[in-house]
Amino acid sequence: MRSKTMAGPPRTVSRRSFLAGAAGVLAAVPLAGCATPGGGGGRTQITFYEQKQEVIAYFDELLRQFEREQPHIRVVHDSTTAIAPQFVRSEPGDVGCFNDNLELARYISRGQMSDLSQLPSAATVRTDISDLTDQYATYAGRTSVLPYSLAAAGVIYNKAIFAEHDLPVPTTWTEFVDVCTALQKAGVTPIYATDRDTWTLWQGLFDYSVGSLVDPGEFFGRMKELGTDVGPDSDVSFAKTLAVPMERAKTISSFFNPDHAVRGYADGNLAFGQGKAAMYLQGPWALSQIAMVDEDLEVGTFALPVSDDPDERQARVNIDLCLYIPVDTAHREEAVELVEFLMRPEILNAYNADNLAYSTLTDGPAQQDERLAGLQQYVDSAAFYQGAGTFVPTSIPLGNYLQEAIRSGNFEAMLDQLDADWRRLASREATV
Amino acid sequence: MTTTTAPTTPAAPVGRRRRHGRPEPIAYLFLVPALLVFTAFVVVPALVGIFYSFTDYVGFGNWSFLGLRNYTALLGDPGIREAYGFTLGFAVVTVVVAQVIALVLAIGLSKRIRFAAGLRAIFVIPMVVSGIVVAYVFNYLFSNTLPAFATAVGLDPLSQSILGNPDLAWLAIVVVSAWQTIPGALLVYTAGLTSIPHDLYEASSLDGAGPWRQFRSITLPLIAGFVLINTILGIKGYLGVYDIIVGLTGGGPGNATSSVAMTIFGGFTGGDYAYQMANATVFFVITVLISVLQLVVSRGRNIRL
Repeated sequence: MRSKTMAGPPRTVSRRSFLAGAAGVLAAVPLAGCATPGGGGGRTQITFYEQKQEVIAYFDELLRQFEREQPHIRVVHDSTTAIAPQFVRSEPGDVGCFNDNLELARYISRGQMSDLSQLPSAATVRTDISDLTDQYATYAGRTSVLPYSLAAAGVIYNKAIFAEHDLPVPTTWTEFVDVCTALQKAGVTPIYATDRDTWTLWQGLFDYSVGSLVDPGEFFGRMKELGTDVGPDSDVSFAKTLAVPMERAKTISSFFNPDHAVRGYADGNLAFGQGKAAMYLQGPWALSQIAMVDEDLEVGTFALPVSDDPDERQARVNIDLCLYIPVDTAHREEAVELVEFLMRPEILNAYNADNLAYSTLTDGPAQQDERLAGLQQYVDSAAFYQGAGTFVPTSIPLGNYLQEAIRSGNFEAMLDQLDADWRRLASREATV
Repeated sequence: MTTTTAPTTPAAPVGRRRRHGRPEPIAYLFLVPALLVFTAFVVVPALVGIFYSFTDYVGFGNWSFLGLRNYTALLGDPGIREAYGFTLGFAVVTVVVAQVIALVLAIGLSKRIRFAAGLRAIFVIPMVVSGIVVAYVFNYLFSNTLPAFATAVGLDPLSQSILGNPDLAWLAIVVVSAWQTIPGALLVYTAGLTSIPHDLYEASSLDGAGPWRQFRSITLPLIAGFVLINTILGIKGYLGVYDIIVGLTGGGPGNATSSVAMTIFGGFTGGDYAYQMANATVFFVITVLISVLQLVVSRGRNIRL
């Protein structure tokens, strides 16, 4: 299926991949059961849960290195796709490493993660990054997760096309529209969109349109407080607060490729890699896919300007990976050892440098990849936001609503629908 | 099927039992493995699910009772109502389309035509291909091949993929679902047709009955039981439609093609476990009601399975 990647993972896990994963775990249970008492020769066995496809091998390598340093600990790497069964069975592993999103937030807010504030490494994390995780959920008195890897996303653009048409990288909304119009006049598709994979719509179009105008963390914090009171008379609401951002989104969508409605994520990577469009609203996870199409394609990234003040530009970020130790672990001591090992600056920084991401530690090094250079300043100065779409529970089909809004041009109806959905979810306390 | 047929011939089982005495106790033993597996993997999880539908359980941790709150919330949820409307409409249309085509094909193949065996094998191929694969292949056809073809021959309405059109996307799902399920129905009908004695047709043609008359008065009544089986199994299958939609439209555009099964599964990853369990319970009851209704109607018409 679609690659489950840094920030914009698809909103559903397919039933097949879940069942395959579940079957894998079931198959592994007897083996694990055998290993613990005897086989290890006095070694303690712990489980490390990490399922990000692209870096499973990378973490395997790190775990072996850890075992060499700590011969008394054996680490089993569980890479099952879905996280829910882990907690449903009350076997969430001893150390977890997962995308910090609304799904993980449910476990945090229900106290499934233990407090890591006493760990030496906890103090080395940038506070402006650890604040981000609190926007989704907190558990009083606990540092539930340690941010491990920060991914930043913006508009990916084809440098050759921009140079050919003598276009600058836009720094204001007006400039951005001018660039799109010029491209369109020249017969170049300004933006390639892939509506069929709905997650690409909210993580790109929706999140970028909102993020630099409305602070998503603050907005959704207030929305949760309001709950069922969200409506035409409340101080914030989708219809009121996101009206201007969605005007932007509507304009942006008028520059999409004509067949955007039936194109998927893979089509987008292929088309952009072949130079069929000038811009692509995707995150760093798409860069490796684009490179597979054309290794020499010169691409850059910039933060989408949605106001006419260049200083208001911000980058969309997400904590692509964070570490946690579930409260249920029977091997907390060993789990802490592993977390401290992974949090070592040389290991954490190397991981992020190698995987198109940013260090979460104070004084972490800059990302050296040329393609991401345009976003470094935003990460350095914490001019970033977590995508608004990531705050919307999956029971609201935001991506599908966007499909319909783009087709009909009626974004106002979508915002009203979102308000109605929000009230309904709030009435049964399901907004987290 | 055998258990449900018993009442239609009430005298026979009793008489038989009396003649042969009580069945060997060991016969019950043969039922045990199936019963155990069925209970452990179907009945118990279903009961657990129904139980949690009255709570605010998210799949782990603490929970408390909500009474019927999940159910009342369901009633007021337009997304859920749309999913039910789409799923029921889709099931009815698809079952009609698939049964008619399968029956026509089966009758054609039952005639002594050339290459009947080869054709039968070809028609059965869709059955052995996984649904998600079928869906992705058709997705490509609908998104690329069909629009290209329509543009080439000047069929403007089809030059844009129907998958991107909320008014037409359901048609694509009907086509693919029917394409995939016709072979199963075809096999059942083929079996049904071979069970009809040939002399009936000979006798009727001597009496001057044409092919249409023969079909109406001989073929259809004698395979009515097979039609019923296919319809019940078909409706049951179509109500649970999932993988075809995931591969074709993902429930879009908008929510135009979101099925009930998709909304239920969404609750699993979306932290809406208990709520979607309530949805699943309602859906289960509706499915059972439809099946019972079909059985009652067919029994009233004296159709035997």
